[in-house]
Amino acid sequence: MSADYADGETSEVNLVTAVRDTLAQEMRRDENVRLLGYDMGPIGGVFRATEDLYEEFGEDRVIDTPLSENGILGAAAGMAMRGQRVVPEIQFLGFFYPAFGQFMYTISKMHERSGGAFEMPLTVRIPYGGGIKSSEYHSESTESFFVHTPGVRVVCPSTPAETKGLLAASIRSDDPVMFLEPKAVYRTGTQEVPEAEYTLPLDESRTVREGSDVTVLTWGAMVRHAETAADQVDADVEILDLRTLSPLPVDAVLDSVKKTGRCVVFHEARRTLGLGAELSALVNEYAIDHLKAPIKRATGYDVHFPSHQTEEAYLPDEQRAAHAIEAVTSYEY
Amino acid sequence: MAKWTESRPDEDFSRVLAPDGTLSGEAPVDEATALRMYETMKLSRRYDEKMLSLQRRGEISILSRSWGEEAIPVGSAAALEAGDWCFPTYRQTPSKLYWGGPLDRAVAGLMGHEPETIEEHLPLDEADEPAVNFSPIYIPLAANVTNAVGSAMADKFEDGNTVTLSYIGDGSTSQGDFYEALNFAGVFDAPAVTICHNNQWAISVPSHRQTAADTFAQKAEAAGMPHERVDGNDVFAVYAATQRAVERARSGEGPTLLECVTYRVDDHNTADDAGAYRDESEQEFWAERDPVDRLEAYLRSEDALDDEAIEAIEADADERVEEAVDRARDVPEDDPERIFDNHLQSESWNERHQREELRAEQRGENPFTDFTGDGL
Ligand SMILES: Cc1ncc(C[n+]2csc(CCOP(=O)(O)OP(=O)(O)O)c2C)c(N)n1
Repeated sequence: MSADYADGETSEVNLVTAVRDTLAQEMRRDENVRLLGYDMGPIGGVFRATEDLYEEFGEDRVIDTPLSENGILGAAAGMAMRGQRVVPEIQFLGFFYPAFGQFMYTISKMHERSGGAFEMPLTVRIPYGGGIKSSEYHSESTESFFVHTPGVRVVCPSTPAETKGLLAASIRSDDPVMFLEPKAVYRTGTQEVPEAEYTLPLDESRTVREGSDVTVLTWGAMVRHAETAADQVDADVEILDLRTLSPLPVDAVLDSVKKTGRCVVFHEARRTLGLGAELSALVNEYAIDHLKAPIKRATGYDVHFPSHQTEEAYLPDEQRAAHAIEAVTSYEY
Repeated sequence: MAKWTESRPDEDFSRVLAPDGTLSGEAPVDEATALRMYETMKLSRRYDEKMLSLQRRGEISILSRSWGEEAIPVGSAAALEAGDWCFPTYRQTPSKLYWGGPLDRAVAGLMGHEPETIEEHLPLDEADEPAVNFSPIYIPLAANVTNAVGSAMADKFEDGNTVTLSYIGDGSTSQGDFYEALNFAGVFDAPAVTICHNNQWAISVPSHRQTAADTFAQKAEAAGMPHERVDGNDVFAVYAATQRAVERARSGEGPTLLECVTYRVDDHNTADDAGAYRDESEQEFWAERDPVDRLEAYLRSEDALDDEAIEAIEADADERVEEAVDRARDVPEDDPERIFDNHLQSESWNERHQREELRAEQRGENPFTDFTGDGL
């Protein structure tokens, strides 16, 4: 895998360490890169994603702020307008809501509103998703809110190596990027990641595996379940890890579905107006002639993220993915 | 060591009970109330202790404790009357305990049961409802304060005579919601009392990183409302200040902000390690100011408590907590279908359909076999 990205030395790291290492590398590379958020300093974030950075770069570059999501995003936007490359952290996606004002009013809109005069080079890092049995608002997967907003990129890695390339590209991008980190897989596995700098394109999906019977469109923490499901079912499954959710890698999606003729969208978010709705509509509009079965969406349900006793029943897993794959591969018109 | 705002914590707030339990002036409550305060704090400690052991055993997932800060929720809740309202966050369980809130439900909540399951299996008679009304605990910070002000406004518009109390941490006063709440309270003269637990830490961020103001109390200035600053480890001082604020609110004189200076003795929660960001010497300083020891010393000096009585109170707390845990453990596992309950008042196609899907999945069947919309 490393050969895809960069040559040279690699080290074996998990996803959250890849985040940390990439932040360090980008901060060394460009002194305009500043991190902004609370609990980022001495403890290095509640998930340790900024561990040791405060010691290395000091309090003016790893900035512990007051406890105010809207303040963090608004200040970050102002700093970005003045040429800083800012990487704000929101502690949990469920606590993004107070920041929606600044997100909608300035971050997504400033570039367009100024006729291209103001850039908004900021990358908002946010751990998202369930599976950690925490309390309310700590398990949200509400990426659709961001995808539904023009003027921002939405990126969601699923492996340590992707995390590094996508995060570096996001930080270097002049667009605002919502960078969603699947915290359920922060520490679940390691991978050889090149130590040298590299970036990955912000508008391309990754083909996790090729197959001829059915396309599974997925991202983030669900990718691993899609892979397990693909091993279990009696079908040749192609898996696309979208990894960039906005703008969507539409060509790759359509090419894959035209090849396989079947499609399952597999995501953690609630179903109604989840990203699966858009993907399904796209396939319907541009590839319906190729479809051998209706598209199915294997997703979370249209409910508030439940308490931890019931969270497993709510969350999509390999079984739910496998069922959807089986349903569309055995369907005949 | 992190810079510490409260460098003179003894000197710039009101206090009734000194750390050694001696009283300055008169006790603001009678002996029976003081004992009830003491019992509630002891019960809360026992509960906190037990919950930590359940957390360590994996029976509950995450826990934030009230340890060392009990004087604030207990002293303030004691100043309320039946029919008043209270909007707590995760750190004020003792407020509810003071008013007889059911322990078993609290434990079941920490065990991760859906509220509907708790309601069904640990039902509460109307007679057992706490006389003060409590909102569900808020996890999103500062949202409760805004709602509390709305609750107070509702009373005001209906010429009611009730008061709404809410709590916020020092860190959470940085949220826009907090300022917006105070501003509304001021403009509408709402009978709202807001209590800031200044425990000096918001997870790892010290209070001087939250504000450049000298005190948290003075944040009320800009909203045009009275404020007081009290020793948050002195249950009598908290009671007396809340009592004054409640009286003001009840007699139509509007809102108050109280800052109660205390210290978060414990880690922020069971996923945190405070040793990584703060100095042990702070702990020692605050251990000498412990609110329970202080009240105990006072009650002993009044001959209202002796070793025997304390032992009885501890035994009673122990028994109540154990019984509550047993009852919570007896609650059967949640039916996953509970997740569909209590969203909207009527049924929808999506809800019906998704319930069917979940049921099929639970039976090991394929939930994706409906290709017509007519059902599985
Ligand atoms: C809007 C929002 N942002 C972030 C969090 C995560 N969080 C929970 S508690 C906490 C610290 C709160 O500190 P403080 O207000 O001082 O209260 P304390 O815990 O010290 O009582 C944080 C950041 C949250 N619950 N809600």
